[in-house]
Amino acid sequence: MRADDLIRPALHRGQLALSEYESKKLLSLYGIPVTKEKLSRSPDEAVSAAADLGFVVGLKVSSPKLIHKSELGCIELNLRSEGDVRKAYDRIINSVELEIEGVLVQEMVPGQRELVVGLIRDPQFGPCVMLGIGGMMTEVFEDTAFRMAPIGKIEAKDMSEELRFKAMLGAFRGQKPVDMDMLCHTLIAVGQIGLELEMVSEIDINPMIITPEGRVVAVDALVLLRKDIK
Amino acid sequence: MIESIEASPLYPIANPKSIVLFGASNNVTSMGTSLLDSVLDLGFKGEIYPVHPKEDRVQNLKAYRSVLDLPNVPELALIVLPTRIVSEAMDACGRKGIKHAIVISGGFKEVGGEGVHLEKELVTVANKYGMHFLGPNCIGVANPRHKLNTTFLPFQGNPGFIGMASQSGSFVTQMFSYLSDYGLGFSTAFSVGNEANIDIVDGMEYLGACPDTRVIALYIEGIRRGRAFVETARSIVPKKPIVALYVGGSKAGSRAGLSHTGALAGPDRLYEGIFRQSGIIRAQSVMEMFDICWMLGSVPRTRGRRVVIQTHSGGPGAEAADACGRAGLDLPSLSPETLQRLSPFIPRTASISNPVDFTYGKNLMDYFSKIPKVLLDEKNADILLFYFFAPYQRFQRMMRQMGVPPNQMAAQAAKLVDAYSESIIGLFKNHDKPFVGYTFQNLMDPLVKILIERGVPIFSGPQRAARAIGASFQYTRLRDKILATVSQEAGLGSS
Repeated sequence: MRADDLIRPALHRGQLALSEYESKKLLSLYGIPVTKEKLSRSPDEAVSAAADLGFVVGLKVSSPKLIHKSELGCIELNLRSEGDVRKAYDRIINSVELEIEGVLVQEMVPGQRELVVGLIRDPQFGPCVMLGIGGMMTEVFEDTAFRMAPIGKIEAKDMSEELRFKAMLGAFRGQKPVDMDMLCHTLIAVGQIGLELEMVSEIDINPMIITPEGRVVAVDALVLLRKDIK
Repeated sequence: MIESIEASPLYPIANPKSIVLFGASNNVTSMGTSLLDSVLDLGFKGEIYPVHPKEDRVQNLKAYRSVLDLPNVPELALIVLPTRIVSEAMDACGRKGIKHAIVISGGFKEVGGEGVHLEKELVTVANKYGMHFLGPNCIGVANPRHKLNTTFLPFQGNPGFIGMASQSGSFVTQMFSYLSDYGLGFSTAFSVGNEANIDIVDGMEYLGACPDTRVIALYIEGIRRGRAFVETARSIVPKKPIVALYVGGSKAGSRAGLSHTGALAGPDRLYEGIFRQSGIIRAQSVMEMFDICWMLGSVPRTRGRRVVIQTHSGGPGAEAADACGRAGLDLPSLSPETLQRLSPFIPRTASISNPVDFTYGKNLMDYFSKIPKVLLDEKNADILLFYFFAPYQRFQRMMRQMGVPPNQMAAQAAKLVDAYSESIIGLFKNHDKPFVGYTFQNLMDPLVKILIERGVPIFSGPQRAARAIGASFQYTRLRDKILATVSQEAGLGSS
C-alpha cells in the first residue's frame, strides 16, 4: 500500500480527514509505531478481532467525520471479555448518528505518560513538527516544542530537551526512560510526511503513550487533508 | 551563504562611494533635510548629489534638477519623497543606471489600501532595472566606520562590534546613545522596513560576512522567508552568535483549527523552536539582547556553566549565587589547590566557599590582581563573576588617612584607579576564561567607567550578568549542536 492509495480515495469521497484507522495506516507506512487494531462492522467481528488481538481491548467508533471522539462518548476502554465487547459495541454504535466506517477494536497500551506529536503547515516555515506533553491535559500544560521539517536526530532529540516537563521522558516511577531512537524516528517521520505529502494539512498523534518499557505507541491519530489540492 | 561581503546586495547600500538624495531641501524641518544633515554630520567621504526640482543649492551642495543630469552614476539613491512620486524617482534612477536604493518614505503596504498598490508598483520598477532596495518605510543604514548614517537622527558614540538588522527603525537610531554608555556600538545596523525587496534574511547574511561584526542582533516582528531564515542562520552561527528579540507572539496569533497541534502552534512557541533550530539565542527584551551581545562580543567562548563568584560582601554574593541558580548556572566547590593558593589572602573573617567572600581585605590590590588570577585558574570553574564596589570617595579617604597632601589626593587616587584597572584589564585580556563583572554602582564611577570603556562587561546587578553568562553558554551548546548536525550529514552523505 502507498500513501496515495489511502489519501486519494478519501479525498474522492469528500473527506476532510482520514479516519483513525486510515490515519494510523498512513503513519505505519512511515514506520511510526501504532496500536494493533482491527476494524469491525458487527458485534461478531468485534469479538473475533478481540480474540485475535488478545484481551484487554478498547473499542472506538472510526469515522472520518469524528474528530474528537472522547468528548462524544464513543469510546469504551478496558474490555476484558466477549460479553464486555458485545455490550460496548451496541452502546457506542448507538451513541453516534454519523455515518461510520466501523468500530475499531484496539489493544490497550499500558503507560501513564502521554505525549502529543503533530504536524502543522506554517505559511512562512512550511511543514513544522511538534512534540508536547499530551493526553487530556495537552492544552492545560501547553508544553510544546516545534521544528521546521526536515529534522535529523540531533534536532529531534533537542525538541525533547526543550520541554519543561522533560523529566517525564526519563526514568519515572519505576518506568523506563523513553526509547529516544523510537521517539526521534517518529518526529523525523512526521516531518517527512509533511514534506512528501502535500495533501496532508495537519497531523495529531494524541496520545502517543510511553509504555513502562519505554516504547512509544500512537494510540489515537488524526490526519487532516487539504481540500484545496487535487 | 555568500562567499564574501561584497557579494551581498547590501554591500553598496552600506558602503556606497557616492549618493544621490531625493527629498532634501533648504527647508530645515523636512525629513529629507534632516537626513542630509545626518550624512554630512558624520563626515561621509564620498560624493553627495541632492536632486531638487527648484533649488540650485541644497545645504551648500550643488543641486540637480534631475538624477539624469548627474555627472556620474551614484552607487546609492536615498529617497525621502511623498509616496506617490517615489516610483517615478526610482524609475529615473533605473534609467540612470543606479542599482541600489534606500526608500525611506512610508505610506506603502503598512497603511493598506492604495499603499499596497503603490508598493507593488515600486517593486515592478526596481525589477525592471534589476535594482536592489531597502525599505520602503524604513530609516536606512548606519555604518559608522564608513561614516554613513542615513537615518534622520544624529549618530552618537563610536563604531562597535554589534551588527543589527531590525524590523523597527527605532531600535537602530534610538540605541546609539544607549550602546555608547556601555562602550558598545554598531558595526552596521539596518532598518529593513517593509522588506519589499531586501529583507531581514539578507541583513543577517551581510552581517554574517561582515568582518567588523562579532555578534548579530535581530529585532523581529515576523519572518517572511522562513526556510531561508533558518538555513542562513545555521550557516552563520558556527562563526558568530546571533541574538534575537521576537515580539508579536501573542495568543491571538494561534490558528483556529481542528487539530490540537494547530491550536498549540501559537507564533510564540513556533518561533521559540525556530530560533533554537536556527542556533539563535532568544532575548526577552531589547536591553537583554544588547547585554547578551556585550557578553558574547567581549569574552572568550564560555566552555561550561560553572561560575565562581568573587565578592567582598555577603549580600551581593548571595544574590549573585541566587541569580546564577535561576539562570541555570552551577557554583562549583573550589579545588584544594585553589584553597591553598588563596590562603595568604584570606582574613579570618572571610568565607572560602563559592561565592568567595573576602570581607574586609588587608590589601585592596590583591582583590583586583592576585585573587581573581587564582580564581580564573580554578579548574572546576568556567567563568569568573566579579563584584565591583570601589567608590572613588573611598580611595580619596584612603589617601587622606595615609597623609597625602590635599593638593595631591586627586592625582594619587587616579593612580590607584589606574593600577586596579590595568590589573583587571590584564586578566581580562590574557585569560582564556570569561571574566564578567557586576555592580550596583553608577557606571560613571571612575574604576567601572574605565573598565567598561576598555571593553570589560560589567552589568548592573547580578541578574543581568547571570542571564548574559547563561546565554553565552547557550551559544556554545547551540553552536556544538549545529556543527554536530553538519558533520553527521556529511558522514551520511559520504557513506
